[in-house]
Amino acid sequence: MTDAAIPPGKPTPAAGAERTDRLRAGLKRRYAREGRFKLYGLLAIGVAVGFLLLLLGRIFDQGHTAFYAHTLTVPVYMDPARIDQAYPQGTNFEQLVAEQQLARLGIADDEQGTQSTAMRGLFSSELKFVAADLIRDRPALIGETVPIPAPLSDDADLYFKGEISRDTPADQRRLSDQQLAWLDGMKADGMVTSHFNSALFTKGDSTEPELAGVLGAVVGSALMLLVTALIALPLGVGAALYLEEFAPKGRITNLIEVNINNLAAVPSIIYGLLGLALFINWMHLPRASPLVGGLVLALMALPTIIIATRSSLKAVPPSIREAALAMGASKTQTLFHHTLPLAMPGVMTGAIISMAHALGETAPLLLIGMVSFVPGIPAGLSEPTGALPSLIYIWENASERAFHERTAAAIMVLLAFMIVMNAAAVLLRRRFERRW
Amino acid sequence: MKFKIFHAPDGANSGSGDTDTRVLTPPPVLHSADPDAPTKITAREVSVFYGDKQALHDVSLDIPDKTVTALIGPSGCGKSTFLRTMNRMNDTIPGARVVGRIEMDGEDVNAKSVDPVLLRARVGMVFQKPNPFPKTIYENVAYGPRIHGLADGKPELDGIVEDSLKRAGLWEEVADRLHSPGTGLSGGQQQRLVIARAIAVEPEVILMDEPCSALDPIATARIEELIDELRERYCIVIVTHSMAQAARVSQRTAFFHLGRLIETGDTEDIFTNPRERRTLDYITGRFG
Repeated sequence: MTDAAIPPGKPTPAAGAERTDRLRAGLKRRYAREGRFKLYGLLAIGVAVGFLLLLLGRIFDQGHTAFYAHTLTVPVYMDPARIDQAYPQGTNFEQLVAEQQLARLGIADDEQGTQSTAMRGLFSSELKFVAADLIRDRPALIGETVPIPAPLSDDADLYFKGEISRDTPADQRRLSDQQLAWLDGMKADGMVTSHFNSALFTKGDSTEPELAGVLGAVVGSALMLLVTALIALPLGVGAALYLEEFAPKGRITNLIEVNINNLAAVPSIIYGLLGLALFINWMHLPRASPLVGGLVLALMALPTIIIATRSSLKAVPPSIREAALAMGASKTQTLFHHTLPLAMPGVMTGAIISMAHALGETAPLLLIGMVSFVPGIPAGLSEPTGALPSLIYIWENASERAFHERTAAAIMVLLAFMIVMNAAAVLLRRRFERRW
Repeated sequence: MKFKIFHAPDGANSGSGDTDTRVLTPPPVLHSADPDAPTKITAREVSVFYGDKQALHDVSLDIPDKTVTALIGPSGCGKSTFLRTMNRMNDTIPGARVVGRIEMDGEDVNAKSVDPVLLRARVGMVFQKPNPFPKTIYENVAYGPRIHGLADGKPELDGIVEDSLKRAGLWEEVADRLHSPGTGLSGGQQQRLVIARAIAVEPEVILMDEPCSALDPIATARIEELIDELRERYCIVIVTHSMAQAARVSQRTAFFHLGRLIETGDTEDIFTNPRERRTLDYITGRFG
């Protein structure tokens, strides 16, 4: 009777229990799959973070020593016989100081001047300019003994930083045993002081590592970005607004859209070639200037800005547009009162990301002559200048060892520049972000 | 439509006499239309095409002033499309084309001489989903008067905002937070804010596209009350999926089906004594 009471097809309690077991078994598999998926995600992030840390760690390890430097303060007898008061710049102060230093140590120079050359190799050529400036300003010091501070030479600096070791066989290192002994002596006499390497941030490029700084490149990059922003932002946002809101949808609009997407994927070196042909060869704009660099980077940034602006305009809910139009707002009013303010966070983010990208771009700069030695700090848009990425390229290829740590330091400056820009992007986004 | 609240009119249900389960509750109070109300909008043989697809076929309809006209019909029947021809919102849809003649106070709204911006200042619209601007409550209401230059100076604008919010029955609730975001209000309040925004420019016609479909019954009742009050000053056209709502708020009803106007008349007549079989089937919940 009880069997008959259960209609066919309806699960018995036993069948129900079996069903639950099957569900449970399936559930176990589903959870296992989820767990595995999470694990893959964690692994992926772990690997990414690991590589990032490795990269940053290596850059920091290589570059942190570039942020301090050593100065040698050496007493100089301003020998009236050697110094021309009317033209102190003509005096060979390095030789003078080297000879005086040797005399103090009681070492006689040979005919070839081997000893004084070795001594001169310990301090920077900057010493000459420091001493000459001092004499020019205060000629009365001639005949006196004056302490002159000047940077140590790059090799001597590296020795105090531990980069040149006594354990290395003498023929494989850049400083001889004798030079090392002199350096130790100077240090013991308190002539060597260690301090923050302000030259790195206040000077332009130089062939002498101890005198080289990133300021020229930073100013050059900033000027270039200024030009890029002034040109690419209005053009890009304007083009996107027109294409998205006003252009009749059709073949031509589609063609333009496809081409913009393609342009965003064109290798940057092609933009460099275009810039070379267009701005330098045809328009005769000054080579290696921030103006040309900024124009080339603007060309490169344009597609990205247009795409980002269009997609953030598309993301504005149509209900807002309809509301404004139904209130009798014109198309332009709808756009500037409602759509664009709502799209602003996306526009700003896109713009700043493309700017940050432009900041790190090197290849197009190669072709417009920016990878060349420019010692000065650019004072205008048409003066030749370097840029941070090209400075990194130049320094990395330099033969002096001291440039290696400075390369890493320049990379850190570039990264800091980018972090500041991206932080600005986040802040702007927060500032403009509104709920709807 | 799942609920069935109306009496099947006698004689209209021949052939289905055994299905008297439809008769459930007594009919709600039905307003009767004022026969003297002048015609505000005249539509003659209006067809709308979206690309190659025809969404509306030769609709001819008179919409009286100071009256609520309900447009009912199943989804995709063209009632919203018809509504949007009256303030030329179809212009904003690429590929949309309107033929036929729509006159407001005897003037062709599709004429070249009529600026859609000006037309929309005269014909306000309320949408299905409350869509206040992501600005303050004050700014929402002040937007219309501001862009149309209707207020001279801040005191007058303040007055318009207060008056509009009062007429939309929202003033009491928001008077102390006029400068907080309109998007922070509840759904029903947002919809009343949107109505206040629409009446702030003193339109002649208010189009409502399913204004209560996203609201709960209490908020719906509030809006319906409001519609009834607004009827004294405006010509109101409301699209609704709720037959009960059409019966409650409208004096005239037009039934659309598959892009055609099937039947139009006083709401009372449509709901108690429809002439067309399809109307009966729809209002009794047999399809839709």
